[in-house]
Amino acid sequence: MTRAALPDVGEEVRGDIGEDADTDRPWIVLVWNDPINLMSYVAWVFQKLFGYSRHKAEQLMLDVHHKGRAVVSSGTREKAEMDVFRLHEHGLWATMQQDD
Amino acid sequence: MVRRRRQVAFARSGDLVEVRLGEEERDLVGRLAGQLRTLLAADDDPGLRRLYPAAYPDDPDRDADYAALVHDDLLRHRLDAVEVVGDTCGNDTLEPAELEQWMVVLNSLRLVLGTRLDISEEDEFDPEAPDVAERSLLLWLGLLLEEAVEASTGFLVG
Repeated sequence: MTRAALPDVGEEVRGDIGEDADTDRPWIVLVWNDPINLMSYVAWVFQKLFGYSRHKAEQLMLDVHHKGRAVVSSGTREKAEMDVFRLHEHGLWATMQQDD
Repeated sequence: MVRRRRQVAFARSGDLVEVRLGEEERDLVGRLAGQLRTLLAADDDPGLRRLYPAAYPDDPDRDADYAALVHDDLLRHRLDAVEVVGDTCGNDTLEPAELEQWMVVLNSLRLVLGTRLDISEEDEFDPEAPDVAERSLLLWLGLLLEEAVEASTGFLVG
């Protein structure tokens, strides 16, 4: 026997309402300092993924290094998640959260 | 232990990157890439933790969804890079895209090794340490990656 693959509509609707209520606040992507990644490599990843100038990329990298973290991009949840994924592909310690 | 190189490992040459590694170092790169492939495929080594960070550290439900969505893509991305390195570790030159795959592998190896060694930023190199071989390897991979970054930066736009 197999079960019919009907979605649980009630769950979906509740989920959507929860997300819509929050859409005004943008998401931010944070990169955290870690003891393994090389500073030059981190700056290179920022240049490559976000098209930042070498100067801006190095500034962000130094923020990560000295302050422990830096906001490297922001936007919708989908965009932030894609940015986090690309940072993870490159081995950086990235997380996302909604801006307060 | 790895013998110190006399010149940088990667140098831009027109549209390509010249690889100036000796035979021993090429063999080592190829062997390490093979070991990374085995670790990645088994997917159960605690040293792999840093390759799959949390996206939503404060929201376990969302994070589980994210991990389920991306885990296989992150794995495939690294396995593809390992394959390119295995195919090209004997080459005299690399395409810029191939060099980037080398960087993925070099960095992944450093993350696994650094996680196993539990290194911190304050660590200083101690030639008497019991794990000096692994620490030397981590440093050597760092040198290669640093030089790959340098060679690769010239290909970035802007």
